[in-house]
Amino acid sequence: MRLLLVEDNRELADWLGKTLRQANYVVDIVHDGEDVEHALAAGDHALVILDLALPRMGGLEVLRMLRARGNRVPVIVLTANASLDGRVKGLNEGADDYLAKPFQIEELEARIRAQLRRANDRTAPVVACGDLIFDTNTRLFSLAGETLALTPREHAVLEQLMVKAGRTVSKAALSAAIYDFETDADPSAIEIYVHRVRKKLEGSRVHIVTLRGLGYLLRHED
Amino acid sequence: MQLLAWVVLPLVGLATINLWTSHRNALATADLVTDRMLMGSARAIAERAGVSDGVLDATIPPAAIEMFDTGDRDSVYYHVKAAGGRLLTGYPDLPEAPKSSNTEATYRDHRLRLLTFSHTVVGAGDDSPITVTVGVTLAGHDAMVRRLWFGAFTQQLALVAIAGLFVLLGLHRGLAPLIRLRDAVRSPSRSELDPIEVPGAQSEIRPLIDALNAYMARVRAQMAAQRRFIANAAHQLRTPLALLSTQASYALRESAADARQEALVALQASSGRLARLAEQLLTLSRAEPGSRRPRADRIDLTEAARHVLETQAPTAIGRNIDLGLEEAGPVPVIGDGTMLREMIVNVVDNALRYSPAGGSVTVKLAVVGNEAVLTVADDGPGIPVDERDHVFERFYRIAGSTEEGSGLGLAIVREVVENAGGHVTLGDGAAGGLVVEVRLPLAGG
Repeated sequence: MRLLLVEDNRELADWLGKTLRQANYVVDIVHDGEDVEHALAAGDHALVILDLALPRMGGLEVLRMLRARGNRVPVIVLTANASLDGRVKGLNEGADDYLAKPFQIEELEARIRAQLRRANDRTAPVVACGDLIFDTNTRLFSLAGETLALTPREHAVLEQLMVKAGRTVSKAALSAAIYDFETDADPSAIEIYVHRVRKKLEGSRVHIVTLRGLGYLLRHED
Repeated sequence: MQLLAWVVLPLVGLATINLWTSHRNALATADLVTDRMLMGSARAIAERAGVSDGVLDATIPPAAIEMFDTGDRDSVYYHVKAAGGRLLTGYPDLPEAPKSSNTEATYRDHRLRLLTFSHTVVGAGDDSPITVTVGVTLAGHDAMVRRLWFGAFTQQLALVAIAGLFVLLGLHRGLAPLIRLRDAVRSPSRSELDPIEVPGAQSEIRPLIDALNAYMARVRAQMAAQRRFIANAAHQLRTPLALLSTQASYALRESAADARQEALVALQASSGRLARLAEQLLTLSRAEPGSRRPRADRIDLTEAARHVLETQAPTAIGRNIDLGLEEAGPVPVIGDGTMLREMIVNVVDNALRYSPAGGSVTVKLAVVGNEAVLTVADDGPGIPVDERDHVFERFYRIAGSTEEGSGLGLAIVREVVENAGGHVTLGDGAAGGLVVEVRLPLAGG
């Protein structure tokens, strides 16, 4: 799951990014409101974490601009201004949730999960495909009751396929969801990750099906 | 109340003095009238005295006695004596008044007013002149004094009462706006420092109300500034706290020892910066006018700068910055030593913060005319001319600046320097970078 973090305090952005990556999110960081639009256009972000006090283009302005262009990506606003007025303003401009600094990372993560569930039309925190289960709270996959050990990239691929379970995910879409800006997106490497994940799923009834020219599909045998 | 006492007490005093003098006047009048009557009576008696058949004879005309009958039941005593002292008629033991002067005497347990009159009787030979002494008890006299005095007394009383009434009325009318002003100030509905409005306040207390309102406006402005500062400070603390908590969470979750170590080192650094920020906030609140008793230590700026540089040296060495002091002896200034040292810390800290690794920061002290001049030059990016006024504002950060400053350092510098009667200016360094110049009045002697 790829997130965009917009925070002008570089250190906080850095460490928030690291902490979210620990939880197997793919995280892009921008420090400036003006970069948000480009960033969103260049990647497939499932959610934006937006600080309000940004240089040049303020967070509220970014939000207004995104919503004006019809972008419906879930946005969690982060701000040091915890006043009621500030919260109401943020929500009115189209924020989906609001978190005041200082916050505990657990709360931010819980809110991210809640937003992602809602965005994917899910109510349960657990996603299942046959005996492959993804617990969105612990952010761990398990296969037939056993935790599945995956590298961050493999995790990103499988999570993306899992979220879209039953639907085809193109190689380009997969690429946009699993690579951050720091990495040179290499579409051919996708095949390698898919191959590795397939091997880890061997022996189960869950398969990644390749549809030539279309992409991949996660399905399980009945 | 005090005002009332100031008005009423003199009035009472005046009335007392007046009563006393009017009593004296009444007494004098009664004396005069009584004396006239005694004289009239004595003359009437004397004129009746005559020689008949060669014998000096004196009879008392009834009118001479009756004239004293004023309804106060006074007793009249008299005697007529020949020149030799022989009693012609009357009371033999009645004393004579000293000549031509009326006097009071006691006779038969009565106080009397006495008059003795000497009269020549033609043809009386050696018996002439005769003396006539008339005395009258004082009941009528005293009654007259009382009547005269009472009249004056009631008049005075009425006057004082009327005057008092007018004073009270005047005071009430005059003080009413003040009382309304007091009520307006005390009013429990006045939680805010709004301007006070007293309806119908006349021109006398208008300046007072205006002064009060102007004063409250100043207090209000100061409180607003304070509130803004506290809000800003709270705001400013939130991001570093979020950072601290994030770093701690990361370290707790990380299983790789080196990543964990890295997080803990970063956490230590951020908590140090947070402590520094708290210290700066405290310094600023102390630099606030009125928050600290102004101190006038005589301190040597050179010594203070040397001390600051010694404590900052490890930071400079850590970033490979050449930190140097150029001085030419003591530079004495008068001011709050703690605050001035804190000021130097902030200038130097700023210079070190914005200098690139491997750069240099030079602190120079000099005496120019009657001013102490402290300059701190760095070779950082400098500050654009149009930003130079703003960087002294609290929490101001130059847009796009990547350095994690608090935005308080230069605000502290300016407030401390201006409190000490000096000023601070920003300039360009010879080889780029920023030069902060602080000028303070040199201590005399």
